[in-house]
Amino acid sequence: MNSAEQVRTRLDAVDYLVDDGLAMAMFLALRLGKPLLLEGEPGVGKTAAAKALALVLETPLIRLQCYEGLTAGEALYEWNYQRQLLAIRLAEARQEKLGDADLFTAEFLQERPILRAVRHRGPTPPVLLIDEIDRADDEFEALLFEFLGEAAITVPELGTFTALRPPVVVLTSNRSRDLHDALRRRCLYHWIEFPAPARAAEIVRRSVPGATEPLIRSTADFIRRVRGLELDKAPGLAETIDWVSALSALGVTDLTDAAVVSTLGTIAKTPDDRTAVALAAHQETP
Amino acid sequence: MLLRGTDRAALAVALVDRLRRAGLPTGLTEAGDLVHALDVSPPLTVGALYWTARVALVRRQPDLAVFDEVFAAVFADAPPLPLTRASGPLVARRDDVHVPVPAQAGDPADGGGLPWATLPPAVAPADPTDSALATPERRPSALAALAELPFEDLDASQTDQLGEALRATLTRWPTRRTRRQAADPSGRRIALRPTIARARRTAWEPVALVRERPIRRPRRAVLLCDVSESMRAQATAYLHLMRAFTLVADAEVFAFATTLTRLTPALRHTSATEAVARAGTLVTDRFGGTRIATNISAVLNSHHGNALRGALVIVASDGWDSDPADQMDAAMARLRRRAHRILWLNPRAGAPGFIPSVAGMAAALPYCDRLLPAATFHDLTRAAHLLQEVGG
Repeated sequence: MNSAEQVRTRLDAVDYLVDDGLAMAMFLALRLGKPLLLEGEPGVGKTAAAKALALVLETPLIRLQCYEGLTAGEALYEWNYQRQLLAIRLAEARQEKLGDADLFTAEFLQERPILRAVRHRGPTPPVLLIDEIDRADDEFEALLFEFLGEAAITVPELGTFTALRPPVVVLTSNRSRDLHDALRRRCLYHWIEFPAPARAAEIVRRSVPGATEPLIRSTADFIRRVRGLELDKAPGLAETIDWVSALSALGVTDLTDAAVVSTLGTIAKTPDDRTAVALAAHQETP
Repeated sequence: MLLRGTDRAALAVALVDRLRRAGLPTGLTEAGDLVHALDVSPPLTVGALYWTARVALVRRQPDLAVFDEVFAAVFADAPPLPLTRASGPLVARRDDVHVPVPAQAGDPADGGGLPWATLPPAVAPADPTDSALATPERRPSALAALAELPFEDLDASQTDQLGEALRATLTRWPTRRTRRQAADPSGRRIALRPTIARARRTAWEPVALVRERPIRRPRRAVLLCDVSESMRAQATAYLHLMRAFTLVADAEVFAFATTLTRLTPALRHTSATEAVARAGTLVTDRFGGTRIATNISAVLNSHHGNALRGALVIVASDGWDSDPADQMDAAMARLRRRAHRILWLNPRAGAPGFIPSVAGMAAALPYCDRLLPAATFHDLTRAAHLLQEVGG
């Protein structure tokens, strides 16, 4: 891919619509071989961006979901201790001598997502999605530096694995915690804005092919107004897509009060929001 | 082609320099990224150049506004903005290698008329105006007596000293269990990796089992302080309390009157006086009316709302709220569901015969774990120590 415009066209072909900024961010991440850090409101399509990128590049997506206490053993690599112990017993039974070099070999190494991305053998580098990095703790960020900077992982017992072709790395964050500057420095950054109603309607149209045009337009409009309310959790694009799918599954063609109330669970996720959205629907729909 | 024949490196460095002067932490890495980016994607329009530069140079969302301003000043037809820092003297950043030497108009002798500036002498002449350093150490008993005085009877330097003393006493902090494990002989789980590593010494027979247990971390704290007119006497003291919490426990701190201001970065400054002064300039609606419920909702709705999960939330206010009480009720109920413990510091609560009858306070009270008096530094210290037993 030679330009941001081309990235946008290719992503368009797999039904992922991007604006100029995200297209440029993805293009530069691909060409410069740098990780891309995506931030934005929940449900704005951060994870979907990585999935679409993998589809376009026709390469596997390797996903690492972050959580507190994530360690090297779950993210990078782990030794297969059970097999090591068995090998020790076997050597004992056979009266063989067993050294370090026999126990810490590739045979006993268990790949975890990041090492798998580094050791990937294939015509194209894989896409590695490190999802919701803000959920992991500071220690985990530090674990990533070698990989993000050099696309390499050092296993003390074996040596350093360096990727033949550096994987395409996408990190996402919901900003529940400030990421360290050292991590930000190693990545390109893009903030995904919530799309304007016209683009939101276009995205929903692609995601829910069965939905009718007036329904999509009225839901996009309704969501825009609901997002202006004081809500605990404002509905994002993901919720909008769920909602339109639900409405079209029910065979609803235009937005009525009753239709909104029966499918409220797709866009309102707390009891307070339920009341607020139902009230808005009652006031604004026939 | 927009930048035909342009020295890309010079362009990138100049742009980075402007961003740095506007206060963004951009550095050589970002400049290098921009040069590479311009190489692989030569911009045809200013729009393309904007996105290239933004993706390559900006690394955090709050910086976007500053970037937009600087970019517009350079590339739009608008007259250039004065790119000086808004507040205070230029402060050296952590990664600053060059020491900025301010040109001294009245003292040309140091440089000897040479066309470069030399660093000022390492041993500075004693500065007689710096009285804060010259103040003799106060004896603990004197400080203790001051701590009993209400805030309005203290002058600025006494407040500073007591604020520093408060920070020094905050050594223990309530903790929470994390999912991260560390080796500990009294742990329940067996840590396989170190056990196998140790078995190396015993012919691969795991004789000594290494155990591990969850690490405990300081529990996150979120502090919301009222700086409205009715809290004028307490405002500075509360800024000291907020600073102590940010330094000791990495707390998120907010000040509010009619609108919400996040003070966490401002109060992390090493000098207490400087930190409090900076925070003071940040809060624009100081000593105005109060909208407590609106501001609690604002914290919950912002992305900092996630910092409230499982946190110790401390609200410092007298409860005089211009929002209706039912709004306070709804906001506190939401806060209650997210927070681990809620403490309310009220400067009036220590007065004899105090009844929390103000509408806002009465509405909030059922959701608070403790209502504590906070009229003197002694009260604040006691409240900080109470956290230990309440928040564990």
